[in-house]
Amino acid sequence: MLPFRYAIRNLFRDPMRLLQTLLGSLLVTLLVMGAGAFNQGMTRMLSASGDPLNVILLGAGSEESLQRSEIPDKAAGIAASTIPGIQERAGRSAVSPELHFMGYLQAPDAERVQILLRGVKAEALMVYPELSLLEGRFPRAGELMPGRMAWKSLGIPQEDLKPGMLLEFEGQSFRVSGIFAAPGTVMESEIWADLNDLRTLTQRDSLSGVTLRMQSPDHREVKLFSTRRRNLELSVVPEQEYYAGLAHFYAPIRGMTWVTALLIGVGALAGGLNTLYAAFASRIAELATLQTLGYSRAAILLSLIQEALMACLLGSLLALTLALQFLDGLTVSFSMGSFQLDMSPGVVLAGLLTGLFLGVLGTLPPALRCLVPPLPAALRSAG
Amino acid sequence: MNASPLIHCHHLTKHYRKGKQQVTPLQALDLKVPRGEFLALMGPSGSGKTTLLNLIAGIDSPSEGELIIDGQDISQLSRGKLSRWRAQHVGYIFQLYHLIPVLSAYENVELPLLLDSFSGRERRERVELALRLVGLEDRMHHKPKELSGGQEQRVAIARALVADPPLLVADEPTGDLDRDAAASVLQLLQELSREHGKTIVMVTHDPKAAEAADRLLHLEKGKLLESEALPA
Ligand SMILES: Nc1ncnc2c1ncn2[C@@H]1O[C@H](COP(=O)(O)OP(=O)(O)OP(=O)(O)O)[C@@H](O)[C@H]1O
Ligand SMILES: [Mg+2]
Repeated sequence: MLPFRYAIRNLFRDPMRLLQTLLGSLLVTLLVMGAGAFNQGMTRMLSASGDPLNVILLGAGSEESLQRSEIPDKAAGIAASTIPGIQERAGRSAVSPELHFMGYLQAPDAERVQILLRGVKAEALMVYPELSLLEGRFPRAGELMPGRMAWKSLGIPQEDLKPGMLLEFEGQSFRVSGIFAAPGTVMESEIWADLNDLRTLTQRDSLSGVTLRMQSPDHREVKLFSTRRRNLELSVVPEQEYYAGLAHFYAPIRGMTWVTALLIGVGALAGGLNTLYAAFASRIAELATLQTLGYSRAAILLSLIQEALMACLLGSLLALTLALQFLDGLTVSFSMGSFQLDMSPGVVLAGLLTGLFLGVLGTLPPALRCLVPPLPAALRSAG
Repeated sequence: MNASPLIHCHHLTKHYRKGKQQVTPLQALDLKVPRGEFLALMGPSGSGKTTLLNLIAGIDSPSEGELIIDGQDISQLSRGKLSRWRAQHVGYIFQLYHLIPVLSAYENVELPLLLDSFSGRERRERVELALRLVGLEDRMHHKPKELSGGQEQRVAIARALVADPPLLVADEPTGDLDRDAAASVLQLLQELSREHGKTIVMVTHDPKAAEAADRLLHLEKGKLLESEALPA
């Protein structure tokens, strides 16, 4: 085996090449981790948004979107009184009739933006136990309650989002009554309103859906209800399935991030291969000398891989530091709402594996090209 | 001393393929080199000197014929086996030294020893001894580019002999040196042959250099011409 210091010294032999390898590996690793954290964050948000105990009643035929769904107003009351096994507290059932509406809102000194409004009653608090009020109180008529991430979509500074601020909707001014949190879920990017208020404003007498919170994750009774009351034209979707469906809907976006990372990675690898070809080619005679001394080609290859690995892993570690510093927790907005980039252990591992992969894969072709030719020819090439 | 020659070439032939053409730099060559002899090889460019040296050093394999070195036929060894054989039996000295530029003189000389299972102390003693032998114990920690050509070549010689192989081969070892540096390298080789019993095969273009050897052979178009013993 060649001494490790040979690999280390070679690493610093050409500072420009070292810098190039380092930056290349840094860039590719950052991309891979960026794509990973993006997908991880999105998936986490969508999966956190579904609770195994919750079931949604939607209009038959619009199972994949609450915004397009319509069910009769009376469905909530009938469900509450008919379906056994719904959670109850103080004589009230955990049944949340809701209206989901994409509306145009405007904050002071900001653009008019489209944002998801959810009209709810106080029962919503029973159905979504992870929801808590950060400030203020639940909205009444003429009031709105934004989630704590809504500032992103509203296009205002985070500190401006507080009780008392005014929001413009359908030509009227609404006061913010409070701010709520529901960690990790899509709800945090929504703006909630009083159900009746929102129905009046949007001139709807129907609901988008009803969410029920059951005592157990067994939803058979709910399904039975929907088949018995065919006249209500209800479809039963467990909340987790509903959000999994959304996750599915966004799969092409996640695919795109990976393809982009992959394409840039391949480009960087091709560039890296070229520099390494040149670097190793100038060392052909030296590598042949080592073979003359009795070093096997495997030993020399190992040293070359060590050399490249050090540069690539160093780049990956730098990328990791940058990613943890600047990417982790970064808020990304998309049509569904906002979520935070998630540098999960899996993403970190993927980043480090990228460095490993680049180091080994990038070394093999140029190294083999230098090690395969017969020794006499290699020795003759000017050293 | 063992009476059998250290090197025995019998009908040694080497072909190379250059596209469709076949070149034959060595043609049925017979050669015996006794143990401890310092042999010089001369001949015009392209006469096959390096080719012969590479075969003897186990860097290349013959196309035909027998090549017995130190009692072992190396003509049939695989590339991997030859590699291990070289580490134990041959020290190769190049015209252009071929020192590893990122390693110090000491580290260059140490390289062959890392292939064997010497203790750290044994290694240090051997490296220091070899460097002392070539008169460079005070340059141990210099990098090749901080040394003169003559010093570089002497480090290369130390590297060739540090593992104590019976055979040293040198391809125009003084070809790139000025007269004084060349003289000291030749004197060193002579010493290694006479005092340390090394068998040396040296290719040279310089008749003055050839005078340092015990015997001079001329190679022409892949065949040996006359043999002349040189005055000691
Ligand atoms: N690997 C090879 N492939 C093809 N032809 C080769 C190869 N090695 C040597 N030859 C040919 O064999 C012949 C002898 O080459 P060799 O290097 O042995 O000559 P030489 O006597 O050492 O010459 P010089 O004094 O110029 O070093 C030349 O014609 C050369 O072109
Ligand atoms: Mg030659």
